[in-house]
Amino acid sequence: MAFETGINKISRREFMKNGLVFAAGAAGLAAGYAAVPDVFARAVYSAKKDGVMNDKVLVMIQLAGGADGLQTVMPLQDPRIRALRPRLSAAVDQALPLANTTLGLNRNLRGIKGLYDQGKVAIVNGVGYPKPSLSHFDSIRVWETADPTRKQMDGWLGKTIAKNYDSQGHPLVGCACGTSETPGALRDLQATLSVVNGENSFKFNGQDADRVMGAVYNGTPGIYGALFDTSVFTARDTVARLRTAHERYVPKAKYNDNVGLVYSSKNQLGAALQLAAELVISGVGAKILHVTLGGWDTHDQQLNRHDQLMAYVDQAVTAFHEDIAAYGMADRVLVATWSEFGRRPQESASAGTDHGTASSMFIVGDGVRGGVYGQMPSLAALDRGGNLQHTVDFRSVYQEILASHLLVDPREVLDQTFERLPFVKSA
Amino acid sequence: MGKNAPSAAGPTRRTVLVTALTAAAGVATARLLGLRDLGRVASALNVAATDPMTDAMGGDEMDMGTTTMDPTDPMEMSSPEPMPEAPPAAAPRAAPAVAPTRAPITRQELVTGIMPPDLATGLDWVAPLDRESAKVGHLLRRTTIGVSAAELDRAMTEGYQKTVARLVDTPVAEPPALPSAENATNAAYVKLGDLQTWWVDWMVKSPTPFAEALTLFWHGHFTSDYRKVGLGSPFMYWQNLTWRRMSLGKLGDMLFQATTDPAMLRYLDLLTSTGKSPNENFAREFLELFTMGVGNYIEDDVKAAAKALAGWRQPQTQAMVDARLAALAKQNKPLPSNPPKADPVKTGVFDPTRAYTGTLTMLGRTGPFDTKGVIQRVLEQDATATFITRKLLTYFATPAPSPSWVARLSGSYRRSGYDTRALVRDMLLSPEFTAPETYRALVKSPTEYMVSAAKAVGSQTLTRTILANANGLGQTLFDPPSVGGWGDNEYWISSNTMLQRANYITTALGQTKTLPPTTGADQRLLEGVLGPRTAAELAATKDERKRWYVLLASPEFNLK
Repeated sequence: MAFETGINKISRREFMKNGLVFAAGAAGLAAGYAAVPDVFARAVYSAKKDGVMNDKVLVMIQLAGGADGLQTVMPLQDPRIRALRPRLSAAVDQALPLANTTLGLNRNLRGIKGLYDQGKVAIVNGVGYPKPSLSHFDSIRVWETADPTRKQMDGWLGKTIAKNYDSQGHPLVGCACGTSETPGALRDLQATLSVVNGENSFKFNGQDADRVMGAVYNGTPGIYGALFDTSVFTARDTVARLRTAHERYVPKAKYNDNVGLVYSSKNQLGAALQLAAELVISGVGAKILHVTLGGWDTHDQQLNRHDQLMAYVDQAVTAFHEDIAAYGMADRVLVATWSEFGRRPQESASAGTDHGTASSMFIVGDGVRGGVYGQMPSLAALDRGGNLQHTVDFRSVYQEILASHLLVDPREVLDQTFERLPFVKSA
Repeated sequence: MGKNAPSAAGPTRRTVLVTALTAAAGVATARLLGLRDLGRVASALNVAATDPMTDAMGGDEMDMGTTTMDPTDPMEMSSPEPMPEAPPAAAPRAAPAVAPTRAPITRQELVTGIMPPDLATGLDWVAPLDRESAKVGHLLRRTTIGVSAAELDRAMTEGYQKTVARLVDTPVAEPPALPSAENATNAAYVKLGDLQTWWVDWMVKSPTPFAEALTLFWHGHFTSDYRKVGLGSPFMYWQNLTWRRMSLGKLGDMLFQATTDPAMLRYLDLLTSTGKSPNENFAREFLELFTMGVGNYIEDDVKAAAKALAGWRQPQTQAMVDARLAALAKQNKPLPSNPPKADPVKTGVFDPTRAYTGTLTMLGRTGPFDTKGVIQRVLEQDATATFITRKLLTYFATPAPSPSWVARLSGSYRRSGYDTRALVRDMLLSPEFTAPETYRALVKSPTEYMVSAAKAVGSQTLTRTILANANGLGQTLFDPPSVGGWGDNEYWISSNTMLQRANYITTALGQTKTLPPTTGADQRLLEGVLGPRTAAELAATKDERKRWYVLLASPEFNLK
């Protein structure tokens, strides 16, 4: 099986050893002390002697707010879209048709369409999950934990790191770029994670400050102690690594955040992807990177706003690919987009759309087997809430990324097996 | 280890600590050593309060060199692990429970030479909350966005009970008016920085800082952001004034205000919603985030509520009307035959022609519903009282309030007709609020952290620095990351934010010409409960500015 390639199993002994440390927190939990201490009293990282060794990198782009699928990948020949969206379907007339399909891409996805025509983009349609939640937070959590039953606490990317990579002393194995928060998908208390908002501001100011922080944040008691200590340690380690990364990297593409969008000052997607490119190209050990672009919650006046956001994503992703390709690394790096849900097929009175369900995902990279995957949900068979019925479980996409790109065992992260979507070229 | 057999007496911090000590003896030892070696700092510390072994044994008088076990606790009885003996001061440290191992991922991997920390897994702070003075400090940290010297002195004199009464019953002091916000129009925006400066100044200076803490709480609960609402109206400013005035109001009044608040009408699109074509945005968040919580209603309830709540439009101020007419005149366009008029209210205006007519079924009841009817129906649900109570307790008291505490307080809340003042008083006077496990169980939000540092050094001129650092620390006022407001506790801790927090302290101290002496500051601000490393660093630091850095950048000061 493809899953087995390159995996070094972590010994059970390793977990047993860590298990002793967990006991304090578990006892507290069993005694009803609190749920949180258990999470935080766990060892924050369990170092892996035999981590997975390969040069693959994953970059996940979160389109936060619920990005509309039907103004992104459009059915060109279905008259129902014009009936459902009298105003928004203007986008259909300007769509970029995909050869040998009945689908078209948003007019502003020109760069991605170009990569698609070169066989470097997989478009997966109808992605969702059973009994979809229309709540942003609830559905984000489902996607982040890869668990529609909402029992998992850890993010699927964080879990991937914790189970496969030696992250202790390698703070950039998992990194959120262009934010000051740890995204839920990366959260796992056993994985060391970096969060780098901007490279230039990432250093300790003040004489001796770095040393003092290292001295003080050591053995900190309390339910947040381990998190505090590893965050400060990670920050200090990251400062040193970023210095090296910066020395080794010269951008070979033009990134641009000057797009005048409402949310562009909050989420600098271009800058975040440039930082991601730098971490990959400079070889400081980045494996799983996460960036976010908000602003997709288009309850009103969606037509132009969504198109502008599409242009922003297109420009940033294209620049990233160009940069990585110029360094000869585009076959190592896979970029994938996700959003907590698509939007309602029926447009609202304010020319926007309410929260919906299934949508499309894009996977970009030279290691991708380009094409269209998944059945486009039928506009004739909406659910009783007037929403699309998903045709692909989002965990099928995760599974292929884990198994065929990162070459780790997806069952350790997803707990079960899903239908295979072979959008990654086999080695 | 008998971890499945909690003592019949229920959870105790003592049990957890003893178990933790068993698992992490090395760290516990280090902590004792650190405290013993404090030198001049040690004399300032209350050794009984900072000694984990003493606390672990229920605060019994005992020799630091020996340990005893509680024979009634099955966890301890069944523990196969030997209890750690506190070793002599010169004893070598036990090995960390997890041996650090390093292996490169790729051949390009670097070694930075920075050693990973030891983790005090399972060890908790020693709670000094059996002392009245410590309880007062704890109370103020939770309720006043940091503690100024004057506030602390006054509260110490009054004691816990009287301070609670004062916090809860003193009429709210309003900030000075901000005319540029009150008169904002599309032609004359209020600057975001002016709005933020206005509020942060008042957080530092207000004589009723609890109202500011509550305003910050409601700003994250009934939230709106300036990006969507815009700054060409007074609406964001009004919303801030509203949550301060209503900070301890009746929940029903607050929900009506939240629904018809002009900023909210824009933020969650209720002003575009009509009975014929309802927009679900507000209705969904109203049920999910403002009142009941996900899982307590169904999709049909959202759709029904969206219809019932439709029909509101935003008000116009005279300045907004004037600006609109001026804009038309400038473009040489004719004035409308029915010229716009200013509204006399600062809330939404109901337009019955846009509302839904007919009956609806919401939360299991069928009938005609209007906005008040929806709120009434929501207030009839147990889930609402529970949801609001739990959120308040989680924000002000502990990340994991016990179900019995939530049930007790939410029951009283509902019986009081959702009197939030009574609920907050109940919370602050509950024994659970000052129970040992609440001590340092919350992480200060960025705003709390920065304002509390300013108050600690007695500076009222750090507002610009606070605002310049807000984004890096992860909290920009009037700009929550989502309709869910901000997260809490662990949400604030990342490698990036810890670095930015430390850098804020560097800048803030650099801009404060005269610092108060550090003597006694660890007692006043932190009850003298310091971790061994903080205490050791403080003991080794002579320079006053650097001592302030250690204190304010410490993990202790990041907690509340």
